[in-house]
Amino acid sequence: MWIQLKASVVRIKMLRALLFAFALASGLLLGMEASFASEEAPFRPVPGHPSAPNFKLLNMDGQLVTLEKLRGQVVLVNFWATWCPPCRREMPSLQRLWQRLGKSQLQIVAVNVGEDADTVFGFMGTLDDSPTFPIVFDKDSAVLRAWPVKGLPTTFLIDRKGRIIYRAIGGRDFDSPESIRFITALLARK
Amino acid sequence: MAWIGLLAQAIVVAVIVAAPAVADDSREKIEHSVHPETGIESWQLGNHGVEIMLMQIAPDQARGFFLARGFKRKDVDYYASSCVFATVVTNRAPTSISYRLADWRYARKDGVARKLKLKDDWLREWKQRGVSSSARIAFEWSQHPVEQTLEPGDWNQGMTTYLAPHGSRFDLTVKWKTGKNNYVDTIKGIRCAD
Repeated sequence: MWIQLKASVVRIKMLRALLFAFALASGLLLGMEASFASEEAPFRPVPGHPSAPNFKLLNMDGQLVTLEKLRGQVVLVNFWATWCPPCRREMPSLQRLWQRLGKSQLQIVAVNVGEDADTVFGFMGTLDDSPTFPIVFDKDSAVLRAWPVKGLPTTFLIDRKGRIIYRAIGGRDFDSPESIRFITALLARK
Repeated sequence: MAWIGLLAQAIVVAVIVAAPAVADDSREKIEHSVHPETGIESWQLGNHGVEIMLMQIAPDQARGFFLARGFKRKDVDYYASSCVFATVVTNRAPTSISYRLADWRYARKDGVARKLKLKDDWLREWKQRGVSSSARIAFEWSQHPVEQTLEPGDWNQGMTTYLAPHGSRFDLTVKWKTGKNNYVDTIKGIRCAD
């Protein structure tokens, strides 16, 4: 009787160990899937969701653009310069994103760092489809320094409450299916 | 006893399932390539989810770039006398990576480990030499960040400089952190453009 009971206890322990091993394997698999899925996300969460520092900068037409006035809308803020190769490469995809989702749903503001309107205008002339979203000038890079930027290009997504919630460092294809899906999901949030 | 066999099989399955990700991450490779038309050389290290690429910038390219950004001839000549590389760091890991250029060292044939000349060192010199504010802004943001944390899929590029004669070679020892683990590796035989 005692021997049978002991054998049952041993079997239960082994069964637990077996279930643990399978759970471990499943967990690793799920973890790997999550990793692969998250690798495709074009933006990454910004811890703490800090408030986006306000800026008041002139656009190509000499009109003032104020970030705070866009509160209540989802805003993509892109820091860039014409001499930055990945910034140049991603600009057409930003325009395609604007054409697809922009104005009524998504605001885009591209903050040029340290250059003037003539330089940017010259670059726009080289593009097949010139950007029609606001491009503003941070000539002394004061705005850039107020934001959590260490290199160009860096792009942020600001939620309707004016908080920085996502960030992308380095060039992106902003109108890729992943980007469109990602931003559309963000736009659907109230 | 059959349970023990089954348990052992399950553990083996778990290990096999887990193994490829680890093996892929730890497989180190360093690639050297030469552009067929320009002859520009580049070196790329892939190790533990980080990719570090250095691409030669010829002295004339460095001069041209900064002359167009408002630098004077004497200042671009001074900059171009050092060895300049376009440096790209990419996070291919499933977790964040971080690095500080202050932790990197390069060694010329004398074997002495030297620190890189970082953008803050340059910016101090540019101010002393009277380089305009707008030119200094362009310089600052064209250099590789002195420290950076990259999330999966993030990447950053910018120039790094080394005080080494044009045409000479050096070994670059790079350090970075992937998750909680620290890594170090060396790219050997990097050649300064001439």
